[in-house]
Amino acid sequence: MTEMRKIAAIVFEDDIDAVIRSLGEAGIVQFVDMRQKLDEWKGTLAPHTVPTQIQTKCSEILSKIDASLKELNLQPGTASYEKLEIAHRRTEDVLVDVEKRLAELQIESLAKPSKFIADREQLLDRLGTMPINEKTDVGRKLLELRRLLDKEKRSIEEKSKLGEIREDLLTLQETVKAESQVAEVEGKLGRTAKTLYFEAWVPYDYLKEAMERISKATDGNCVVSEEPAKHGEKQPVIVKPAPSFMQAFEKLTFSSGYPSAHEVNPVSIMAITFPILFGIMFADVGQGAIFVALGALLAYFKRKIKLEEAGDIIRYLLIGAEMFILLGLAAIFWGFVFGEFFGPSGVIHPIELGRIGPFYIGGFEPMHEPMKMIRFALLIGAVHISLGLILKLVNTVRERQFKHAPIPVAWLWLLWGGLFMWSSLGGISSISRWFTEGMLMLAGLFIAPLLLLILFTAIAEGPMEGIGFGVEVFAETLSHTLSYGRLMALGLVHSVMNYLFLVLGGVEHGHFPPMSIPVVATGTILVLIIEGLIVFVHTLRLHWIEWFSKFYSGEGIPFKPFKFT
Amino acid sequence: MLDPNLTGLIGILLSIGVPTISAATAIIICGTAMAGVGTEKPELLSRLIITVVLGEALAIYGLLIAFMLISKLPSFKTMEAASKGLMAGIIIAVGTGAAGAGISYAGSSLIGATAERPETYSSNVIGVVLSEALAIYGLLIAFMIIGTI
Repeated sequence: MTEMRKIAAIVFEDDIDAVIRSLGEAGIVQFVDMRQKLDEWKGTLAPHTVPTQIQTKCSEILSKIDASLKELNLQPGTASYEKLEIAHRRTEDVLVDVEKRLAELQIESLAKPSKFIADREQLLDRLGTMPINEKTDVGRKLLELRRLLDKEKRSIEEKSKLGEIREDLLTLQETVKAESQVAEVEGKLGRTAKTLYFEAWVPYDYLKEAMERISKATDGNCVVSEEPAKHGEKQPVIVKPAPSFMQAFEKLTFSSGYPSAHEVNPVSIMAITFPILFGIMFADVGQGAIFVALGALLAYFKRKIKLEEAGDIIRYLLIGAEMFILLGLAAIFWGFVFGEFFGPSGVIHPIELGRIGPFYIGGFEPMHEPMKMIRFALLIGAVHISLGLILKLVNTVRERQFKHAPIPVAWLWLLWGGLFMWSSLGGISSISRWFTEGMLMLAGLFIAPLLLLILFTAIAEGPMEGIGFGVEVFAETLSHTLSYGRLMALGLVHSVMNYLFLVLGGVEHGHFPPMSIPVVATGTILVLIIEGLIVFVHTLRLHWIEWFSKFYSGEGIPFKPFKFT
Repeated sequence: MLDPNLTGLIGILLSIGVPTISAATAIIICGTAMAGVGTEKPELLSRLIITVVLGEALAIYGLLIAFMLISKLPSFKTMEAASKGLMAGIIIAVGTGAAGAGISYAGSSLIGATAERPETYSSNVIGVVLSEALAIYGLLIAFMIIGTI
């Protein structure tokens, strides 16, 4: 984890533009928006307002430059803006200079020839194709005219001045764009009578460079200090971008929130659990294979098409290309376990992976044995929640809140104790057994961890929070574990929908008569689209709500340094 | 009392009819809200789709219970089995009805709030998600009752 330092600086208002410009060139700091923190500084700082004329002037000049480029038929583009000597000047002065340069270029006087050029081209065309009789007066005059036009054409084309003018215009354009961005940053700062105060986050490695640049831009007339993030203060986080096949999962995770400073980044773990849960609900060898093929096709197209040009839905599909492959592979795996090939057609038989007490892992067809499926679903739910709780423990240790560390341990004990009790003594229907035969088990596996949880929370935060948290954990654990029953529900619905199309097509015991192929194909397409979307959203919901609520706060701020674009 | 077969069939009617109406209500209200917000801020729409999809899930739960009841149709000869089927239908109907009401209100408010302040999305979505959990509870109980037919 890169360590971040916060720079606080006071500079004169005449120097602020130079400072922001210098830091923007380096692209290493992220300015703090002071407008939201001004309450803390009441009495010392007032909000700094940049006069609005600056932005309006910037857009005026930019549109003038655009118009000039169009009039001269020049190509737009980018240029480096270091050509103008502006390093130590204020934004208003720079803009005045730019306007002067623009006037000097005398665009209007150059534009006139280009209007003539069009007319002259037309004239040349007509003269060129006309047969001219040299012997007549008119004929000789026309030939003379043609020669003159040719000469003029060549002389204008030889003017390499147009190339220079283009460079100048582009330089001015870059300058004005940069000044506009500087003015935008300036509007977020706080000011006293004659000076401006700003704070910025910078990675430790670039700290020296940033402070040097500030000193240089102000000729030493500044007060700069730096400090590490205070305990409890949110510092921006640089997260390593995920490898390409996890990109879709990264987008899904970060749209729910960015990891904060010491939190584990769940993207890589999600890349494993998401396909597994998707595969359980969408278990089917044939449809899984179609998903893999679709994903491979999309991945191939991703290299050919530019993402910006695609429509919205196509863009999402292209971003998720590798994800489709993973989902398809998981669907194939669970399809083999549950024995589904385009539905429970009987082509392949379920494979039993194992058995833990009353929990069968595979070896049954969900459609015919729903009770086994729901037990399996709840087991998977308990495992997934446990993973979340283990991550909570890891986060607690990383944030050095050791007093909170026993809480996830007690919670895990409660979860698995409850599950064990339910599986050995039966469910709600035999609740009386829980309180007679299983009293000892109840005490040890259920009541003890609950009391410990309340105790540890009370030690860490306070007695009222302890009891509240205890009740909350009890209700939340029950609710979230039962929520995984949707694995059974959606898996069953998927199976039954496929079965419907198989029956319509007349498929029995693994024989696919030729007449059934179009029916099964139609059914597969419908199921792929509808069930695919629904199962995807529900898997996402399981991750966002049931899983993230255990360990992920998502309150982080990404580190986006101020850089000229 | 009613003929056992008829009772069982009424259970099936309820188990597919009412959830479909609840799902439609949720989708009507949330879909309208989404379309309205989409004109102003299309980039938020992809996250807001969850309200419509969770609404649609209600119909799926109803479909599931209806499937299971139909598979038990031959055993609706005794009044006991038939009344269990009827009750299962009523349970899933009430569960999805409640969830549909919750999703409509919470969903349309979520969509409106997210349009104005996108950072409040993750807190407000809990309302929608917990409403949908109500339907799951109904589903599980109906399931267990059908298991005993």
